[in-house]
Amino acid sequence: MNILLVLIPVTLLVIVVAVALFFWAVNHQQFDDLDSPAILPLLDDPPRQGPAAEPSEKTEPPTQDS
Amino acid sequence: MSTSTASTYAASTDAAGTYAAWGHPQLAAQVLRRRRDGCSEIALRVESLHDPRQVLWLEQRIRALPGVQHVAIDRPARRVRVVWDAQRTSLPSLLDNFSAAQCPAQPLQLDSIDDARSREQHDALKRLLVAGMCAMQVMTYAFVIYIGVVDFVDFSTRHLFRWLGLITTVPLVFYSAQPFFAGAVRELRERRLGINLPVALAVALVFLASTFNTLRGSGEIYFDSVSMFVFLLLGGRYLELRSRHRSGALGDAVIDAAPLLAERRRADGELETVAAITLLPGDRVHVAEGGTVPADGMLESACVQVDEALLSGESRPLRRVRGERLIAGSVLLSGPAELRVEHGGAATTMARLGALAARARQARSLLGGSDREIGRFVGRILLLTALTALGWLLVEPARAFEAAVAVLVVACPCAFALTRPATLTRALGVLAGRGVLVTDGSALATLAQVDHALFDKTGTLSVPQLDRRAVEPLRGDTLEHVLQLAAALAHESSHPLARALAEAARQHALPLRAQSVQVSAGAGISGEIDGRCLRLGRADFALAPSGQPVSADTAGALLLADAQGAIAAFHLDEQPRADARRMLDALRADGIVPTIASGDGETRVATLASRLGIDNWYARQSPADKLERLQAARRDGHLTLAVGDGSNDAPILAGADVSAALTSGTELAQAHADLLLLDGRLDGLIDARVIARQVQQVMTQSRRWSLLYNLCAVPFAALGFVPPWLAGIGMSLSSLVVVLNALRVGRNETPVRPDPASPAERIRELRA
Repeated sequence: MNILLVLIPVTLLVIVVAVALFFWAVNHQQFDDLDSPAILPLLDDPPRQGPAAEPSEKTEPPTQDS
Repeated sequence: MSTSTASTYAASTDAAGTYAAWGHPQLAAQVLRRRRDGCSEIALRVESLHDPRQVLWLEQRIRALPGVQHVAIDRPARRVRVVWDAQRTSLPSLLDNFSAAQCPAQPLQLDSIDDARSREQHDALKRLLVAGMCAMQVMTYAFVIYIGVVDFVDFSTRHLFRWLGLITTVPLVFYSAQPFFAGAVRELRERRLGINLPVALAVALVFLASTFNTLRGSGEIYFDSVSMFVFLLLGGRYLELRSRHRSGALGDAVIDAAPLLAERRRADGELETVAAITLLPGDRVHVAEGGTVPADGMLESACVQVDEALLSGESRPLRRVRGERLIAGSVLLSGPAELRVEHGGAATTMARLGALAARARQARSLLGGSDREIGRFVGRILLLTALTALGWLLVEPARAFEAAVAVLVVACPCAFALTRPATLTRALGVLAGRGVLVTDGSALATLAQVDHALFDKTGTLSVPQLDRRAVEPLRGDTLEHVLQLAAALAHESSHPLARALAEAARQHALPLRAQSVQVSAGAGISGEIDGRCLRLGRADFALAPSGQPVSADTAGALLLADAQGAIAAFHLDEQPRADARRMLDALRADGIVPTIASGDGETRVATLASRLGIDNWYARQSPADKLERLQAARRDGHLTLAVGDGSNDAPILAGADVSAALTSGTELAQAHADLLLLDGRLDGLIDARVIARQVQQVMTQSRRWSLLYNLCAVPFAALGFVPPWLAGIGMSLSSLVVVLNALRVGRNETPVRPDPASPAERIRELRA
């Protein structure tokens, strides 16, 4: 039963990590729009008018928290 | 000054395709918020966000601009927030990019940047998740103790699990359950009994007792119960929050669509319509009678009367003379005013602007207000809990604590307390989506029972139009000249007839400027043009100085006259609004008797009444006469609805049990109305009536359900059959039933007219 003394702190640690990850996700608006991203893979190329957007920057996640 | 011009205004800026004006540093400062890291933050209204693909494209495109750090799109509210470096991409070029993506954007006031909804939602989501994670852990520890797997090892292992339960419950009680404690403290401070009190009491009691038993090393612990209880409760509250936010966002989208407008005088003396938020210090602004003052400024006209009731609560008309200060948000009662803007959209002033928006939001925030019934309810529950505890102490002291806590939890009137706010919030959101803004939530309850309706005619049931052939010069002047004179006077009033006249003249004649203009509500306008005293209005008003008799053929017309007598007659044609007949038929079918009370002549009122099939009509009514008609109906025991649009309707709008105003009318009328009909759509009234009926039904149902639930559950809890965790589930479920029931409002009935929004969008919103 001494293995409990290792496993229980490990589960507590897992909870702390999971909560921290979740807080990060909430703070970065990952749960704000649950509808639009679902159709993201179905998108054609966006219609291009005016100056075209650089593709490399498109996938960049937001770096700023509000 | 009114919303009727909003669409033309938006169209003109879109067509120009230029947002160069926003490059002005003072103007930009009114809508931008500086952040500590040097970036700027702005809230924009974007009209065309129907298609989710469009949202994604827009987001990608804006995010790819140099210096853009963050883009948040709130689709139901039609709002976009952008955080970016204004040094690298200027505000005009940001706006140009929005319009290049075929989503033209308009900057919103500073206070729209603070996104209280998303903050609140993030907060609730975090608390819910922490509660869920902790509850799961506590359950595993409790399970180990329940089935007794550690009993055969030794007592220290058993104690270890009790301590683990305590440790994992601590974040749950002190973080996740914190809103309940904060709410309970607030309720106690306000000396009332609210729904947070029993919850907080139950959580605190169970937690403290279990902690004490853990420290003592013997006795029952209930960490699993308390954590499940908090988790389920937070889950119910989170769902309720989501549906509330969805309704709020729909309302915001409608309010943003009607920005406060101002008429600015350009350097060449012409007037142009701009959004009030773009006014700069030093601009000269013209405010018509019945309009809202768009910004703080110095009065340049001789003397006006203003109503500052919306700002200070002072309902007496106030006199302001040249050189005095007019405050943004006050409503002009008499005479047009010229104003020199002192400070444009400084945050303090802007906050008071858009009285319409402010009132609509206020109505929503008042919904959750305390209910005396709930206070009594909670008081009884506390009493019942004490009795249960006492009873068990006499019979079997060991079970007293558990039974008392179960009663406390199971009987908490959460469902009862939720009924009103949940149902009304939903109703207001649905109505906002259909073009009806409700400024007083309790008006819906009255509207469901209204049986007598009083309508204004001109501008409400009908729209006046002036054909050029209908202008009849009486003293040999040219047609253009009389039109020019009349338009100069008509421009100063917001009466629909005057507006129609000014509109007809605009295409042909050069504008003249009228001096010392006075507007008499319900009669006409007088003023001086080139030193000549002129009067425009009803025949008896216009001919009063000259003493000419009113001839039969001009009796129904609008007359222009000077001191010598009549100059011209304008025979305005009236078309009933497209949806007036349908709306009246629906009201009649619903058992409401419609009546017309108009200041207009008999023949015109009779013609319109017969076209609309109304038997009861009264012509030549002054505002006081109309009010007298209304009060007579009220004395007969009728519940009255008044519908109007002009300043002269303000008394009846204020005096009726429920009132509705068209937002194409004056702001003074809107200020006194409980319902605002957007875009001149009268059939919004039918929608409002249907929804009001549904609200009554759903509320009665929900209240019955929650009372029934409490009556059934309490005896079991008091007899000790219900463990606290089951009580928690029951309570959360009963709240959930109420919230789901509220979502039925505006859902099953078919729309009375084709909806402008796409069907898919509509269904999505209803399901949300």
